Parts: sequence; C-alpha cells; structure tokens
Amino acid sequence: MATLPQLIEEDIRHLDGVLREFIASTEAMATLIIDKGGFLITQQGDAHDFDMTSIGALASGAFMANQTIAGLVNETSFNSIYQQGENASMFVVNVDEHCLLVVIFKSHSGVGVVKYYAATAVKRIARQLKIARERTPESGLDLSVLNVAETAPLFRKKKKA
Amino acid sequence: MAIINQATKELQVKIVYYGPAMGGKTTNLVQVHDHVQTAAGNKGKLVSLATSSDRTLFFDFLPIEAMTIKGFKTKFQLYTVPGQVIYNTTRQLVLRGVDGIVFVADSQYEKMPENVESFQNLVDNLNSLKLNLAEIPYVLQYNKRDLPNAAPMEYMEYLLNNREVQVPSFGATAHKCEGVFESLNMITRLLLHKFINQSVPQYA
Repeated sequence: MATLPQLIEEDIRHLDGVLREFIASTEAMATLIIDKGGFLITQQGDAHDFDMTSIGALASGAFMANQTIAGLVNETSFNSIYQQGENASMFVVNVDEHCLLVVIFKSHSGVGVVKYYAATAVKRIARQLKIARERTPESGLDLSVLNVAETAPLFRKKKKA
Repeated sequence: MAIINQATKELQVKIVYYGPAMGGKTTNLVQVHDHVQTAAGNKGKLVSLATSSDRTLFFDFLPIEAMTIKGFKTKFQLYTVPGQVIYNTTRQLVLRGVDGIVFVADSQYEKMPENVESFQNLVDNLNSLKLNLAEIPYVLQYNKRDLPNAAPMEYMEYLLNNREVQVPSFGATAHKCEGVFESLNMITRLLLHKFINQSVPQYA
C-alpha cells in the first residue's frame, strides 16, 4: 500500500498556516489533517476542548465507511461527508489518496462557507503533500537512534496498591 | 503505515487486535487501558463503538504513548475489529494503515474452526489491501487459558503457528490481565525492529 510522504518541519509549518487561514475565514472551532488510516497529522483550533486523536480516528472510520457505501450504490466515491449537530457540526473532505481534512464548526455558521473555503484549503494541502512526496521520496528519518534493547518493556503494568 | 513526523519527532503506529468473535480482543484493550502505567496525559480514552450488548460494532480504539523511546514521542493507536463474520467490510476498513497485528485466538477446543477461519480471513483481508501477512509483524495470543476446555498450547501452535517462520505466541487470560502486556510489548518490539532495520522507513 502506498504511503504518505515524509513530512518535515517546513511541511507542517505550511499545513498549519493553511489551517489557520481556513479557521480565520470560516470561524471553525477546530480543523485537522488526518491520514485515512486514522492518524492525526496536524491540527489547529480549540484543541483543548476536544480529543483530537479520537476525533481523527473516528472521522477517518466514518469517511471510509461512506466510501464503501458509495461503492455499493455504484458511485465512484463520496468526496465529503457532513454531520449536522445542534451546536457543533463536522465536515470531512477528501484531500488526496491518503489524507482527509476534518472541520469542526459551530452549526449556526452554516456548512456553505466551510465547503467554499475548504475547496481552496484542500488544494493547498494536496499541493504541499505533493511537494513533500517529490522532495526526496527515498530519504527517511534515521531511526537508528531508537534503541530497542533499552525499550523493553515499553508498556508497564501499574503496580498494585 | 506508520507516520513518522520529522517536525515533531513523532512516530505514530497502528496496532490491530484481530480474531474470532468473543475471543477477548476488546478485553485486551480494556485491560491495557485500566492497567497501563503512563505519565499523566499519555493515555487516551478508550473509545468503543459497540452494540447495546457490548459486541464490537465498528471498532474499539485506544491511543496511548509509550513510556520512553530515545528522542521520539511514540504514539500507539490500538484498534480491535468486530469478530462477527458479517462485519467483514468493517474489518477491512480498520486494517487500513495497519503496522502490527495481535491475533487473539480463543483457546477453547470448540472454537478452533473459528480461529482458523478468522486467521484465513485476516490473510484474505490483508491481500485485498495489497498487504502481505509475511511482511507485517504479528504475534499470536492464545486467550482464555483459564477455561477447563482450553486446548493445549502445542495444539494451538500446530493449528495457527505452523508456517515457515514462526511468530511469538503467548498464553493469556485477558480478563485477569495475564498475557496482555506481554503480547503488546512483543508486537511493539517487533515493530520497532522492523522500522530500524528498514533502510527506508515505511513512510513517513
């Protein structure tokens, strides 16, 4: 399975800039870029109010489930999903083969403005990911600093009181 | 595959607990959630998308940060799949982007056909995602060792771990938290070895 490109500081800075501009334009509460496998790549907004990691995992699951439904109704794909709540709503839109943009916004803001600005944001995010992919696809992060011998056990059980 | 973010020196890894229905996959996550020793804030909430009778409907999800890995913030995302046969599409969705697998088998004699079927289903689902089990680190956990009708470990090894390359396996009694951390630590270790040994990291 093809994977995301390696992201360096410059990429994250650029992606965060896109998200900040998006929030300023839409007054969204929070916005996230996630991988379709459920990983959170980066986020902006009121992170303290939400469990972004869980939102990322669940939004990815919901979006991918909808892609399966699209296939069942002979649709190539559903490019976005929209969940309307009383106070907060969520909009998830496809960025590229690997990524999604998730927007949490106040319901009274209306989804129209979110969809409008998301179209531009998605293009900019996709462009940056393409740059990252083309930069040096064969290069990787040196993980030799991870000394596995020193890591066991990574997860320890709490001692009984 | 795992996300390695150079900017934040963060490694994100997805581990999926797979196996037949009612085998103890969710129990594994509950036990990890309840007993893991972490620094404050390093353990996320356990999210369960379950039916009213506590059967997993979509998946369970537990984000957790490992205690120490030199220089890296290492975040693990633990998922379970629904074991029931009818939810195969859901299992495929959850497997997307998987880095490592804990296969939770039910040790009861009468569950052996389900164990074998579920394992084959895992292989098939990985293939449908263009993944090959031989290239993905996995461990076997033989759960419910405390039950009187548990099959011998050797028999389970013969049924489930009888390939060219044998993988680590553990007896477990998940509801007593026995074998749970052993399985998790071993899959984590296998994953990190894989990352280190790869000349080119999977992606990041």
